[in-house]
Amino acid sequence: MSNSPQSALECRNVTVKFGDVTALSEVSASFAPGQIHAVVGQNGAGKTTFARVAAGLVQPTLGAVNVMGRDIRTGQVSESRAAGVELVHQSFALPPSFTVAETMEFGATGKGGIYSRKGLAEKWRAHLAGLDVQTDLNRRIRDLPIETQQGIEIARALVTDARVLILDEPTAVLSPAGIDMLFARVRRLKERGVTVILILHKIREVLGIADTVTVLRGGRKVEGPLPVAEVSGERLANLIVGEAVAKTLDRHDRDALVGTKAPAHEDTDQPVPAAGPAILSMKAVSTRPDSGGIALDGIDLEIRPGEIVGIAGVEGNGQKTLVRAISALADLEGGSINLAGQDVTRQPLAVRRRIGLRIIPFERNVEGLSLTSSLWQNWSARELLQGSLLKSIRPAAIRDACDRALKAWSVHYNNAGQRAGSLSGGNAQKVILAREIDPDAKLIIAAQPTRGLDIGATAFVWQALRQARDRGAAILLISSDLDELFDISDRVVVMLSGRLNGEFHAPFDIGLVGAAMTGAAAGASA
Amino acid sequence: MNEIIISILRSGTPLIYVTLAGVIAQRAGVWNLGLEGLMIIGACATILGIMLTKSVGAAILIAILACVLASVLLWFVIDRLKANPIIAGLGLTGLGIGGTALAVQSIFGSQATVTAPFGIPKLGPAFGSYGVLSVAVAAMPFVVFAMWVVLRRTRFGLRLAACGEHPFAARSVGANPSRMRLAALAIGGVLCAIGGAELAAGSLQFFAQGMTAGRGFMAFAAVIFGAAHPVGATFAALFFAIVGALGIRAQLTFGDRIPHDLLQALPYLATVFGVWLSGKLRGGAKAASSFAELRDQ
Repeated sequence: MSNSPQSALECRNVTVKFGDVTALSEVSASFAPGQIHAVVGQNGAGKTTFARVAAGLVQPTLGAVNVMGRDIRTGQVSESRAAGVELVHQSFALPPSFTVAETMEFGATGKGGIYSRKGLAEKWRAHLAGLDVQTDLNRRIRDLPIETQQGIEIARALVTDARVLILDEPTAVLSPAGIDMLFARVRRLKERGVTVILILHKIREVLGIADTVTVLRGGRKVEGPLPVAEVSGERLANLIVGEAVAKTLDRHDRDALVGTKAPAHEDTDQPVPAAGPAILSMKAVSTRPDSGGIALDGIDLEIRPGEIVGIAGVEGNGQKTLVRAISALADLEGGSINLAGQDVTRQPLAVRRRIGLRIIPFERNVEGLSLTSSLWQNWSARELLQGSLLKSIRPAAIRDACDRALKAWSVHYNNAGQRAGSLSGGNAQKVILAREIDPDAKLIIAAQPTRGLDIGATAFVWQALRQARDRGAAILLISSDLDELFDISDRVVVMLSGRLNGEFHAPFDIGLVGAAMTGAAAGASA
Repeated sequence: MNEIIISILRSGTPLIYVTLAGVIAQRAGVWNLGLEGLMIIGACATILGIMLTKSVGAAILIAILACVLASVLLWFVIDRLKANPIIAGLGLTGLGIGGTALAVQSIFGSQATVTAPFGIPKLGPAFGSYGVLSVAVAAMPFVVFAMWVVLRRTRFGLRLAACGEHPFAARSVGANPSRMRLAALAIGGVLCAIGGAELAAGSLQFFAQGMTAGRGFMAFAAVIFGAAHPVGATFAALFFAIVGALGIRAQLTFGDRIPHDLLQALPYLATVFGVWLSGKLRGGAKAASSFAELRDQ
């Protein structure tokens, strides 16, 4: 760049509408070249849409995108790439069956021709080494750990001479150590003259890495880009949440929601340590390997009434299998599972649910709800499936009961007959809560219960889980967000490669938990 | 021995061409169940073309044109009208079988077989006893090799596979999954036309109603058995052809002791076995793609 332009990337009045929904509204922002910029906001603020507009994946309804002082045609990936804008997706966009070398090649531009396997590996070895991605180039993406996959996705984005690299929530899937590695990589890119735009949602990460910060809320830009040196964490928190909502939140919750500082859990109204016989007791539980994820290897876990036990760990370390084992969906190889004093090792899910097992599943829209069925059908599934198959049902009565329940859980909906798919994420999750959190619930598994929810809905879910705990239910919370885990768990257990790797009590030490997540300090325990 | 190899190549070659068409579609993320229909359209168009133009080259061009048009129609229905690809493919098969019968009926006023005066040129006496095979048989290994190079050793092949496996990833690097599927189906149309032409005008010189007799579906099974790999699927198709040829041989030898219907069913039984085995070995087809994926994100 001989005459360096004012901005590496500039958006002018970008508006994006998906049908009736306005995802972005007149967003204008200009990012100076050679710096690390953060774009922050809660879920649903429009961060991902913003990134996709810049990358050409989403065609804005209105507005212009300017790269290095030149307007580009919007909505064309090839155009954005040619101008030097590359995007690293939150859930990586890498074909799982491709080898590392193939992944580099399929996104490359310039001369191609016929390659050989060996030649392809040779061609990309230096590129990956230059970015410090250590891996065998002939291994397949699906066999690689998440940290390596992210490195590969970044390397994939840099196969062309990228001037602007956008990373969409790159820290969401990483362990604390993985985040440090990522940030070191980002700083090296800055030294190479790449303009980096990081989409983040934790303030301490913003303050730790970025030169400037831009805040989005509800599809609008509220502030920015501001030099990070001139803005306090406190102010940033209020900008993200919005003054009005900020007042309604408990201070600890707000700090956990926006990740102001290293989380610890300093609850003063800590309930008396849970007593009584365990609701869930797993002894030496191992599962047979299957396609659903890594197998469990000798899990010993007890949860007592009135406690929230958090499961921390990098995604893909057996959390899904743990949920499947407790809900009778994975084949056990050994061990036993006790639920409220009964041995349910060989009992099907229906029996376990009758005892009081409730599940808020990982995939809200796949496992949690039937999106094409009505709200009352979704809501009534719990009781109907427990009853006899031949029992007659009265839809009108169920609809009334459903109406009462959904109102009690403050779900925003039009009528109980509308399809579950027509609700927003937060409201859909409330329907699941209304179904799964009832007075008979003894063990509630909450798997990533706040993923993708905005701050109001997240605080609501936390409150619901705390109330269930205070009523005496046992709660197993699985989350990849350490702030969330530390804020509401009474105890945190770390999963690594299908085993439990350490147990921690409040106040939590993020360093120790992080080390246990990556296996740096085996057997760490507080 | 030569005889049995010749009979394997005769029955295997049309199957292999159509299998390659299935492979390229599968890699692009389309379960092409229209192969049967495309193959019979190719067979019918070749024979009618020979009778019309008196030239094999022109006849094959006509067959290619017909099959590519039918494939583009399939693409339009799946991609633009967002129809279920399985149903649309089966619809194309129905259209092919019914449409060719209707064409023969309306042109010749009868349902009898249509015989052409000549077929695809033979290799000739220079190849000894193999001289009775058509040039399409000789070209087959080269076409398989070319498909392997294109699909497994070029960036186009990688992008095509990305479109099938992870359309969003393909879109992220600027590829257009919709256009890639069109390309895959159109190339498949060309291959189906050649497969159909070889079936009707290779060793035979006639078209009969329903003469593909499920070969298109067998080709699809070979795609699954061979994990949508061009060479793997070719060997799967060859395996089905070998079982078929051995079945005919067995009929001649123990036709009096074993019901010949059972022996005739051998290739189809082998197909079921092959698909079961591939599921056992790999846990399903590799380039599998759900409808949701096909619709991107």
